[in-house]
Amino acid sequence: MSVLARSVGNAFRNKIRTAAVVAVLAVAIGLALSMLVANQAVGARIEELNASVGTTLTVNPAGGQGFEGGGEPLTAGEAAAAAAVPNVTSVVGTKALRLRTETTTTTDSTGAAGGATQPGAGGPGGQGASVTTSLTAAVDAGTLGNRNNSGTMNGTATNGTAQAPAFSLPITATGTAAEVDSTGKALDITSGTGLGDYAAASTKALVGTTLAEKNSLKVGSSFTIAGKTFTVAGTFDAGTTFGNNAIYLTLAEAQALAGTPGELSSMVVTVNSMENVDSTKAALQTALGTDKADVTQGQRNLETAVSSLNSVKGISLVAYIAALATAGLIILLIMVMLVRERRREIGVLKAIGARNRTIGVQFVLEALVLVALGSVVGAAIASFASGGIASALISSNSSTAATAQGGPGGFGGGFGGQGGPFGGATQLLSSVTASASPGVIAAGIAAVFAVAVVGSLVPALLTARIRPIEVLRGE
Amino acid sequence: MIEVKDLVRQFKSGDRTIKPVNGVSFELERGSLASIVGKSGSGKSTLLSLLGALDKPTSGDVVVDGVSLAGLPDSKLTEYRRRDIGFVFQQFNLIPNLSALDNVMLPMEFAGLRKAARAQRARELLAQVQLDSGKHQRRINRLSGGEQQRVAIARALANEPKLILADEPTGNLDEQTGEHIIELLSSLSRDHNTTILVVTHDRSLARRADRRFRLLQGALNEEAAARN
Ligand SMILES: Nc1ncnc2c1ncn2[C@@H]1O[C@H](COP(=O)(O)OP(=O)(O)OP(=O)(O)O)[C@@H](O)[C@H]1O
Ligand SMILES: [Mg+2]
Repeated sequence: MSVLARSVGNAFRNKIRTAAVVAVLAVAIGLALSMLVANQAVGARIEELNASVGTTLTVNPAGGQGFEGGGEPLTAGEAAAAAAVPNVTSVVGTKALRLRTETTTTTDSTGAAGGATQPGAGGPGGQGASVTTSLTAAVDAGTLGNRNNSGTMNGTATNGTAQAPAFSLPITATGTAAEVDSTGKALDITSGTGLGDYAAASTKALVGTTLAEKNSLKVGSSFTIAGKTFTVAGTFDAGTTFGNNAIYLTLAEAQALAGTPGELSSMVVTVNSMENVDSTKAALQTALGTDKADVTQGQRNLETAVSSLNSVKGISLVAYIAALATAGLIILLIMVMLVRERRREIGVLKAIGARNRTIGVQFVLEALVLVALGSVVGAAIASFASGGIASALISSNSSTAATAQGGPGGFGGGFGGQGGPFGGATQLLSSVTASASPGVIAAGIAAVFAVAVVGSLVPALLTARIRPIEVLRGE
Repeated sequence: MIEVKDLVRQFKSGDRTIKPVNGVSFELERGSLASIVGKSGSGKSTLLSLLGALDKPTSGDVVVDGVSLAGLPDSKLTEYRRRDIGFVFQQFNLIPNLSALDNVMLPMEFAGLRKAARAQRARELLAQVQLDSGKHQRRINRLSGGEQQRVAIARALANEPKLILADEPTGNLDEQTGEHIIELLSSLSRDHNTTILVVTHDRSLARRADRRFRLLQGALNEEAAARN
């Protein structure tokens, strides 16, 4: 019989009590492990999101994303100022245009115009100049059109001619100074070529795949914007329905069409590394002035998603530590109780020559046996519960985020301005699957054992103070 | 050789102090068998606990082979109990959830003996105290009082101690088994030079003793040896 065998034996001396202790420990350990798994999963998700946002910053005119409409538009001078900020590797200016189909009825154009003047309704609010095109939107207005139009149609509804399905959605035309989209990602050109020199005015255009299909456009086909004929140089795939209901022009061309040469509706600033993004964002904001420009990292709703995930991460970390401390406390109290109960027996061991160390080790091992059993049951609990716990944590948090975002999200939703990316963020939030990975569980159990050793050390040291004469005391 | 010098142990109970051991002095030669008698509550167990370093005297000293226990640190006293002392407790004090064999092996484990060696010696010792081999693996709390007493004696002999302190070792045994234990103890003192001090009211055991003491009002008085 060894110290370990004796400890195992002692752990099972009172089976009912052992079962109760193991059950309580299992709950604490299971909770700790679940929280750890949730923490890890959320942490991994945050990194993923941050990586997807990448090293680009978006600069919009001050107030451009609010309801008030934009302030002063950005200019080429500001683009130069942004380029001069340290760690900035490139600045790409963009000019957004809202195109509406030429052949619209009066009622419809009222609706469309209403939509176009809605601040924040797609793209940088208030900055989208409205021009006509021969193209038809690839996105069916359908219910989206009804829903979004209902507010602005109120004034004209009395004439009874409101034909909601006939209402056509606007098409976004973006003038860009490089072959990137509004978030700084390279365009995925699926056929044809790019626009070549993006700085010069040109009648070449890139058309989104669905928009091209809807209007039977191929590379080389032509269409008109504001009466001017453009040729399709290539088609691109933005990966989303709304993203593909768009065209790209060269920056100079878009500025000319809008009649605002030198004006930018936004700038995409690329930073040299991930670590410098935060500091560069601040430096950029200072260089451009808060009254002139808003600097945001990637999509705003992604930031909201990340910050709500960060709070989930914080909560789960606190809960993990609390559950771990609870497990330690349970061990401490149980072992103190056992030491008191076995005073006389400890006296016997000392009377027959056991060292203090031997007895201390025996008690620590006994605690570890209880913790090992608790961990087995706790890990089982965690592997079943952690998914539910994590998604409960995340859904409660993302619903808060949704409420906060509800206004602009719902507003622009129909026009694809913010609805698309926001929907994506919700999807990201709910897709955090907290699978209990063996590595994380193992690390968590190691931490539980460390806490158990600390927790049982106090009672183990108490055994050193018991004197061998206890053996003669009556039971 | 064990020398006891003016040993005093007092207890405070309420505002009264009692001195069950009050100035006890004696010497015992190596290999001698000594017995102590005295009324219940006279302090016999208290005296044994002082000799076995389970307890510390209020004053006085115990010197074992020239080493004073009063001057030893706790770790050395633990070593003294482990190596030099075999204690048979009046209440046995075996570990209830361990088997007879495991109980006897325990002091040998503390002394660092290898597992096979301690299992073998434990079996021999249990055979010496006439515990059926079928009961070696039985848990202590499933053994009778007399069986437990014999396991306690086997455990005391485990590390071949120089001094065996036995508190009523035959109290729970029938005459025949008691006689066997008495024979075992006296052969140890005779053949193995083990010093044995027994608290006993067993006449047949007291008769075998080289020296006989009576504890009376805290003082130990030697009675005339009556060897046969
Ligand atoms: N820790 C203690 N505190 C107070 N009094 C004690 C303590 N230990 C023993 N005593 C008292 O000391 C006296 C001697 O006790 P001890 O156990 O030595 O008697 P004993 O001679 O062994 O008796 P018995 O033959 O009944 O076993 C008793 O009166 C007992 O109540
Ligand atoms: Mg006694």
